[in-house]
Amino acid sequence: MTDTLVAPTGPARPTRRSSGLFRLTPTSGIGLGVALVWFSVLVLLPLAAVVGAAAAGGWGAFWNTLTDAQTFAALRLTVVEAALVTVVNAVIGTVVAWVLVRDKFFGKRILDVVIDIPFALPTIVAGLVLLTLYGPESPVGINIVNTREGIFLALLFVTLPFVVRTVQPVLIELDADVEEAAASLGASRFTTFRRIILPSLVPAITAGSSLGFARAISEFGSLVLISGNTPYQTEVASLKILKFIEGDNQAGAAAVAVLLLLVAIVTIVVLDLVARRVARRG
Amino acid sequence: MSIEVRGVGKRYGDFVALDDINVSLPTGQLTALLGPSGGGKSTLLRIIAGLETADSGSVEIEGVDATKLPPQKRNVGFVFQHYAVFKHMTVAKNVAFGLEIRKRPKAEVKAKVAELLELVHLSQFAHRLPSQLSGGQRQRLALARALAVEPSVLLLDEPFGALDAKVRKELRDWLRRLHDDVHVTTVFVTHDQEEALEVADEIVVINEGRIEQIGSPDQLYDEPANDFVMGFLGAVTQLGPVRLRPHDIEVAVQPGVPGAAAGVVQRALRVGFEVRLTVDVEGQAEPALVVLSRAHARALDLELGSRVWLSPTTGATSVPLLGEVSA
Amino acid sequence: MADTRQIRARKGPVTYALRFFVIAYLAVLVVWPLWEVTSRTFAPVERGAEGGFSAFLERLQDPTVTYAFSLTATCAFWAVLINTVFGVGISLLITRYNFPGRRILSVLIDLPMSVSPVVVGLALVLAYSSGQGWFGGALESAGIFIIGSTPGMIMATAFVSLPLVIREVVPVLEEIGIDSELAASSLGANGWQIFRRITLPSIKWAVVYGVVLSLARSLGEFGAVKIVSPGAALRGETATILIQNRYTNFEEPTAYAAAFVLVLASVLALVVVSLIRKEDHS
Repeated sequence: MTDTLVAPTGPARPTRRSSGLFRLTPTSGIGLGVALVWFSVLVLLPLAAVVGAAAAGGWGAFWNTLTDAQTFAALRLTVVEAALVTVVNAVIGTVVAWVLVRDKFFGKRILDVVIDIPFALPTIVAGLVLLTLYGPESPVGINIVNTREGIFLALLFVTLPFVVRTVQPVLIELDADVEEAAASLGASRFTTFRRIILPSLVPAITAGSSLGFARAISEFGSLVLISGNTPYQTEVASLKILKFIEGDNQAGAAAVAVLLLLVAIVTIVVLDLVARRVARRG
Repeated sequence: MSIEVRGVGKRYGDFVALDDINVSLPTGQLTALLGPSGGGKSTLLRIIAGLETADSGSVEIEGVDATKLPPQKRNVGFVFQHYAVFKHMTVAKNVAFGLEIRKRPKAEVKAKVAELLELVHLSQFAHRLPSQLSGGQRQRLALARALAVEPSVLLLDEPFGALDAKVRKELRDWLRRLHDDVHVTTVFVTHDQEEALEVADEIVVINEGRIEQIGSPDQLYDEPANDFVMGFLGAVTQLGPVRLRPHDIEVAVQPGVPGAAAGVVQRALRVGFEVRLTVDVEGQAEPALVVLSRAHARALDLELGSRVWLSPTTGATSVPLLGEVSA
Repeated sequence: MADTRQIRARKGPVTYALRFFVIAYLAVLVVWPLWEVTSRTFAPVERGAEGGFSAFLERLQDPTVTYAFSLTATCAFWAVLINTVFGVGISLLITRYNFPGRRILSVLIDLPMSVSPVVVGLALVLAYSSGQGWFGGALESAGIFIIGSTPGMIMATAFVSLPLVIREVVPVLEEIGIDSELAASSLGANGWQIFRRITLPSIKWAVVYGVVLSLARSLGEFGAVKIVSPGAALRGETATILIQNRYTNFEEPTAYAAAFVLVLASVLALVVVSLIRKEDHS
């Protein structure tokens, strides 16, 4: 049921329990040191370099870059598209998870695998795959290249599994007794769903949606072939960064990148808060 | 009659869960469905609640044929073994749920919730989440929630099964008192004969999908319809041609009582105020078990190897060996 | 078991409507485009030309294509190797040892999953490129060039797939607890022996699973690698970059052929993952 290729069930955090843990020995201390150096070299220093480059010109330069009409249009388009996709996914993802858990029909297992495909596919291939059906040589006569609908479709494709895969396990674990209790208290099936089941799914939907939102904001590969990169029309944040880099405007690229980084960090924090709230409810 | 069950049968594949069940439960009575696990008692309760559909037969609640009614329309309160509380709602919201579904005026809902929380001693927890309550408190919450809609019958499925022994005992007494106050027709399922004997007005013993006996706790204990009922309600031993309770055996150290069986004490186990003897009875494969008070045992001066003569006390409850129903 | 409850088993018009909707949605979004890409891979380029499997193989034997795939394989191999060693080590450290900053580290570890690939590429450029990087000058004088060469591409690949092994191993380490490790230690086993004979056997499948996920992710990485790579044929052109270049140069058949290989690799990863899940559960 839940063979997810990239399980979006949120980060695997160690528990807060620290008793019963070993104290660092010389060997493990060296191990920790090596790991931290590598992590810094690979992740922390480069990300710090991005922040440094964005801050180098001061707040004014940073602000000017982001409020430049063309950049701002790209940012706005990215946020609006990502928000739309997130709303659609929150609804459709929940419906898909519902059908996969509650319904029973021939071929359901295949659908369950299909959900994972957008995760498993390289992003550039995802773009190419969509273009075969909805591109210039579309057999159904739809061409999404260089349209906002195209960006929407690509984002919908790559973010499909997030809500489905976070809601599915919660739905499986839901207690049937609770639904029977609601029924014997007089609640119709719809009322039971709205007042009992849906509230239990909200944390999972929130978690899946924020993962999907973060992914949509930062998506690059699948949009390269689809979005025509027309300023003010179909240019999104990640492609704007690429354009800045290719134009040797590192500060501009870094400014947009910092914004995307911020979204990533906020997402992680939101997920952590959601996870803790759920843990408290028990 | 509040609940009339007629000819109800239910199968799961080859497994017969219920076979032609007929039972009527009078209004205001507290009834226990007693039997071993997997005997069909929970299935019967769920059929009455509409959570399962019977393959055959009919269920009538308060004179209305409920056989085809969905659970929503039956006006029954159902309490689950594992509470089934709505985790995301406060205690008060849980209790209010059924009333809100019925679109009662806000003021009425508020008053009713306050009254019920008072009844189940949870008033001070009204605004907590269920996760902050103990098991016993959660079950009282579930009971209040079920009672809020003023159900015509209250059904409880192993309501105390998930609680530890001490809380179970408290809640059992409390349920009895509550029922004396509220007087709603109540059916509860249990596999614990002590629970049934202590709380219920009437007990329905169910085993292997069939009703073995219906009666008051005293009737069941004193006049068990068969071997199964007798065995299920307490310890049973064999003496000659009959089965009877170990404390219903008279012990003599000398022959004299007509028909007494001679034997030798094999083991003597002292547990608290009683002494349990294992007696090898002549001409009987199974040893007989005898329970007598410590004082009595001391007076008889019993020890291992003592020769004793056993006979049923006058008025002892007994059923014939291998027999189904005593004449 | 839960679904045998009558309250959930009942089916109404809504059930069938939802089922139909979900099947249609997944068909239009995922299945049909995938089918289209497959059929184009094996379709004749133009009327009368040869199509089918032999043409497909021929396209893959082009030296630029074999170069791209071998470069992708090299990057993936090193990235996965580094991530596996580092991932297992870090997992042990954050679940078994108590040190200041343990919780912050465990949160930071997840960051690379949420960072846009373009930002990853940019970050590496800003830190290590010989022209603009923080450390570029120092590295250049030492004769080390990271950006624009294979080490940079390996780092980019390692960055984006860094948390995958850790995410699989940490929950397992938490679940098994440290009791048997303490027992082994009381019986006189040293740290390495404990790891080899007690810990490793129990996290074996989690590690394999993490490796498969990392491998799938590494083979398909596009955005981050694109920015740190020169990206020209036979010079830093990986399989994913090749797909982009060929598609935009109207050499679609080659793009489809390369894409199809990557689709196959992803599907294979999905299958392996589900097999491991089964193995692990039995």
